[in-house]
Amino acid sequence: MGDRETGVVTLKVNGKEITVREGTLILDAAREAGCHIPTFCYQATLSGVGSCRMCLVEIEGQRKLQPSCVTPVMSGMEVKTESESVISARQAMLEFLLSNHALDCPVCDKGGECELQNMVYTYGPRKGRYAEVKIRHHEKDYVLSPVIVKNSNRCVQCMRCVRVCGEVVGRGVLGAIGRGAHQEETSFLRSYLDCDHDGMCIEVCPVGCFMRRPYRYRARPWDLRGSRTVCPYCATGCRMTIEERDGEVVRSIAREGEGFNDKMLCARGRFGYDILNSGGEERLTTPLIKKNGMFEPVSWEKALSIIREQFTKADPRRLGGIASAALTNEELYLFQRLVREVLGSGNIDSTSRWDAATTGAFIFATGITGGGVSIYDCMEAETVFVVGGQVSEENPVTDYIIRYVSDSSRKSVLVASTRAMKLDTSAELSLRHLPGRLGALFNGLVLTLYEDNQERLEGIKEIGVLKGRTVTDLAAECGVSEADLRALCARLESSGSISMVVGTDLLRFREGISGLRLLGDALRALGKVLKILPVLDRCNQRGAWDMGVHPLFGPDYRKVERAGLGCDGMLDQAMDGAMDALYVVGEDVVNMYPDRTFAEEALSRVGFLVVQDVSLTDTARMAHLVLPGAYPGEKEGTFTNQEGRVQHISRLLEPPGQARVDLEIIEAVGSSIVHGFSDGTPQTVFDEIRREVSMYRDAAFSGGSPDGWLVKKSARRLEGFELIEEKKVSLDADPEHPYFLVTGNHIFLSGSLSRRSGILNELVREAVVEISEEAAGELGVIDGQTVSVSGRGFDATYSVRIRKGTPREVVFIAENFEDKAANRFYKRGDVVPRVKITA
Amino acid sequence: MEKVLLKNVGKPDSHRIDTYLAGGGYEALKKALRMDTEDIIQMVKDSGLMGRGGAGFPTGLKWSFIPKDPTLQKYLCCNADEGEPGTFKDRSIIEHDPHLLLEGMAISCYAIGADTAYIYIRGEFAFGARRLEEAIAEAYQKGYLGKDILGSGFSLNIHVHRGFGAYICGEETALLESIEGCRGQPRKKPPFPALSGLYGKPTVINNVETLACVPTIISRGAEWFASIGPEKSPGPKIFGVSGHVNRPGLYELPMGTPLREIVYEHAGGIRNGRRLKAVIPGGVSAPLLTEEQIDISMDFDTLAHEGSMLGSGGVIVMDDTTCMVKAAYIINRFFSHESCGKCTPCREGTTWMTSILKRLEYGEGRPGDVELLEGLCGNIFGRTFCPLGDGAVMALRGALRNFRQEFVYHAENGRCMV
Repeated sequence: MGDRETGVVTLKVNGKEITVREGTLILDAAREAGCHIPTFCYQATLSGVGSCRMCLVEIEGQRKLQPSCVTPVMSGMEVKTESESVISARQAMLEFLLSNHALDCPVCDKGGECELQNMVYTYGPRKGRYAEVKIRHHEKDYVLSPVIVKNSNRCVQCMRCVRVCGEVVGRGVLGAIGRGAHQEETSFLRSYLDCDHDGMCIEVCPVGCFMRRPYRYRARPWDLRGSRTVCPYCATGCRMTIEERDGEVVRSIAREGEGFNDKMLCARGRFGYDILNSGGEERLTTPLIKKNGMFEPVSWEKALSIIREQFTKADPRRLGGIASAALTNEELYLFQRLVREVLGSGNIDSTSRWDAATTGAFIFATGITGGGVSIYDCMEAETVFVVGGQVSEENPVTDYIIRYVSDSSRKSVLVASTRAMKLDTSAELSLRHLPGRLGALFNGLVLTLYEDNQERLEGIKEIGVLKGRTVTDLAAECGVSEADLRALCARLESSGSISMVVGTDLLRFREGISGLRLLGDALRALGKVLKILPVLDRCNQRGAWDMGVHPLFGPDYRKVERAGLGCDGMLDQAMDGAMDALYVVGEDVVNMYPDRTFAEEALSRVGFLVVQDVSLTDTARMAHLVLPGAYPGEKEGTFTNQEGRVQHISRLLEPPGQARVDLEIIEAVGSSIVHGFSDGTPQTVFDEIRREVSMYRDAAFSGGSPDGWLVKKSARRLEGFELIEEKKVSLDADPEHPYFLVTGNHIFLSGSLSRRSGILNELVREAVVEISEEAAGELGVIDGQTVSVSGRGFDATYSVRIRKGTPREVVFIAENFEDKAANRFYKRGDVVPRVKITA
Repeated sequence: MEKVLLKNVGKPDSHRIDTYLAGGGYEALKKALRMDTEDIIQMVKDSGLMGRGGAGFPTGLKWSFIPKDPTLQKYLCCNADEGEPGTFKDRSIIEHDPHLLLEGMAISCYAIGADTAYIYIRGEFAFGARRLEEAIAEAYQKGYLGKDILGSGFSLNIHVHRGFGAYICGEETALLESIEGCRGQPRKKPPFPALSGLYGKPTVINNVETLACVPTIISRGAEWFASIGPEKSPGPKIFGVSGHVNRPGLYELPMGTPLREIVYEHAGGIRNGRRLKAVIPGGVSAPLLTEEQIDISMDFDTLAHEGSMLGSGGVIVMDDTTCMVKAAYIINRFFSHESCGKCTPCREGTTWMTSILKRLEYGEGRPGDVELLEGLCGNIFGRTFCPLGDGAVMALRGALRNFRQEFVYHAENGRCMV
């Protein structure tokens, strides 16, 4: 057989002939042949070590048994996985592993889902011979972090935790100390240093060594009832299962083979589940009406009749709706139908942070209407260019996937961002540009490409805009050295396929989008295979756009006859006293709109403000009527993540008290005005979506592949966003306020939803300002010191966090702290506010 | 036999470059630098030199695996982590004739195309490390190291890297990990170091004594070297004799010298006129030989055939006052203490065996302990990640095979029969 030419290898496993791809590990080949080989240290996404020796197999002609998890197949190999020597080796390994294992299964959290238990049950010796004193690493479990606790006496030394921490999370917080049987996996200095607290070490641990601290002693696995859902904390859209006992959610867990993210979750996903348990005063359990400035409970009937009265009497042009991009597709779709069909208004939006024209242009430039793009397909490209966002912190699991795939396949990763980020260490080239200067960076790249390939790029007429500019001045404008810019360009130029991972900076700074589009056109004109993956922060942002929750287009990016107003426009109109009614679902406008004072003032002038949310947010406090909604774990529906992956979420709990699922509320509001508006079940609304949104035509509501389903190319073309005007972001020197403030999501938080998680708040005890090493030197401050940050019109104190590699002039405050909200530093129209820091 | 490896040892100021030069030092390097690198490798192949670190792999063959691409960075690592109990030969070369090693390294690097070499020296050898640093400084000064050596265009830098006391770092891939600043644990093979070694680059790892043979092969010729000792594993060999003999020490003898001759003639026989009980022929990993077995030629093939191994050539002699249980316990304790912890059978198995042996030695043996030990040996052997676990098993099996009754006596009576 010409195996070498065909790239396949034929071998025998237990006498059965199979053909697999060259380079396949014996382990995988055997599993393909239906022969299961037990393993401990092996984990598909991690580097192979072959140390646990559980997977030893016999290979005809070889004297010693070989570890199948690190040995690739060879043509003509005859592998035996169940021979006498293999079986005895397995029993021997299990006997050895048990010899120093604590065997405290009755009090171990892992009991019942422990790989060691299962393995001993299946393969193990039926009798133990070990009758010596066991080695104990420590008497008491020790707490590695607020969420991670460890008991090394149970460890089987597979070092999955150490590898996952280094290779996937990219932190390298864990390592091993000691030698031989005294080897203990732990964090250095037994402190958690700059741990991501994602608990990946817990998830990969085959035994009960690493444990969830909040879950410890709370339940046995067989007591739990779970439901499959999607993490609501960013648009990476990680699949996970949340599990409850006696009505209380006690953990969320990601399992291999149950979603594209396998076992990967970040701190938010793995530990932010307790928002579902936040009952008491925080949680809204009944509709509230404001009387004389105070909220009073009101019945649903009364609330709905007030809404009907207010909404029907309002002028449709003076009416609008804002729905959070954290709602399900079904809710968003029905919401836009309510606003457009029932209320007759075009004023609708899914975000209060970004303006509508910018989001439209972003959708156009990133090719979202072109259908879903899997992140793994993106990672197939020769070069991955991460730009326009702090992926490592905004979307941690996206960062994990980029890291482990690129590191294991030696792919070239390029990074351009305003701040230093964790992904830098995996990047071949990473450069820092000034905030609000992505346009200059992209244009600099285009111009460099043009210099080298003038003829081939002559057809792109927009390049004309760059005539008269030079690479040198564009590099200077974005604050990047010309050599770096050219090096970045050379890397792009030499790659046949490129994936761009594009973050939300383009939306935040309202610029760079034309540049992105031009760069995309130029690269395509040069014959590059280009894929663009938008990296978004709200879990269903892409779904919200697909559903047409946007003032400038409808479902399926259908052109709307008369463009409505986005959030920005509605607030403007409210300021003029021309908003009769506003229906806000799940969006905390006051805390998110980039100028809090303006947002508060504008909302206070709305004639009738209805806010539907799970708790009394700052926005809800301003409402005339508050409706109690539900968390994702309390409802069924679908989310579409940033890749365009449609995933079903199921319901685990009932909303508390009189709180209702948002879909039912939207339906009830609609039906109270128009009879027969919808029957309001997720399944029927989804069927309607399939009929109305061409991208979802073939999607399945539930069931189907565990990886979800990627949306198809839209049958329609998004119009009106080909050319947008971008204002140049002012970065003029201001000696009074020498630092540029940028904002975004904190690594442990997402929007304001996660602020209600007690566990996550333990990880983020205080509001932090992140500054560069240079700035810290200038100010003479150290990590953890309190400083005061003042802008034009707001000042507050923050704890300092120094980040090496961030440019001197850039400071970062996450947008998640309501008490010291970053949006207070913004004056309307500000893109990069200037601040001063005093120690 | 004319001494080759220890010829300068004992001379006044033997470690100084002037002494070395006076004895014809660095002439082989001069000759080698005029030769074609392929010819040098062929010469080493023809000489039949086998690695002196313990495994006995043909040195020339090892060098020939290094890719010939001149643009690739390559490294030579000298394994001076001499940690096998009973072995102290490399130390003597390092401390008393460091230039012999440096010359051997320079020739080897030239042959394989490496411009950087590391000497990974055992942490406890502080004096040796200092001597090497001094010698390297002398060699730089005289132009035998550094840029453009002797006008040949060949450049070489040698760095001394001190270990931190782990036996496992003598295993070649663990040694590489340690130089890289990682935890000293063996790497999986393949890829073999010849293709992906230090920092992922092609690397040759040779023992001190191996490299010290190289200058002689160049200056005296491959045939001369091959004519010493048995045809299959020729050359001079340093035997380190320790234990119950009258004259313990280092003896440079032709490979294949009978063990009886080494013990009774060179080392002066058993002390106090007692009887020989057992000999470990090549460091503690090598299964012991009994009195009846010592008329054996000390070379790689013959010893392997006899079920033992030449290993590093560290001969440990035990007389009839020796309790084999105690000896086995001490040896096993060494292995479990030095097990790196990476793989299950070695980590857990050697520790378990040590616990049992300790009980036996302290009179707390239980019936069935001997069978359990034999069972554990079978459960470890051939299943470990690197040869450390196998070494522990081989040592214990040697003792159990030949002196089983002593172990049984300990288990049954709670005391020693010796």
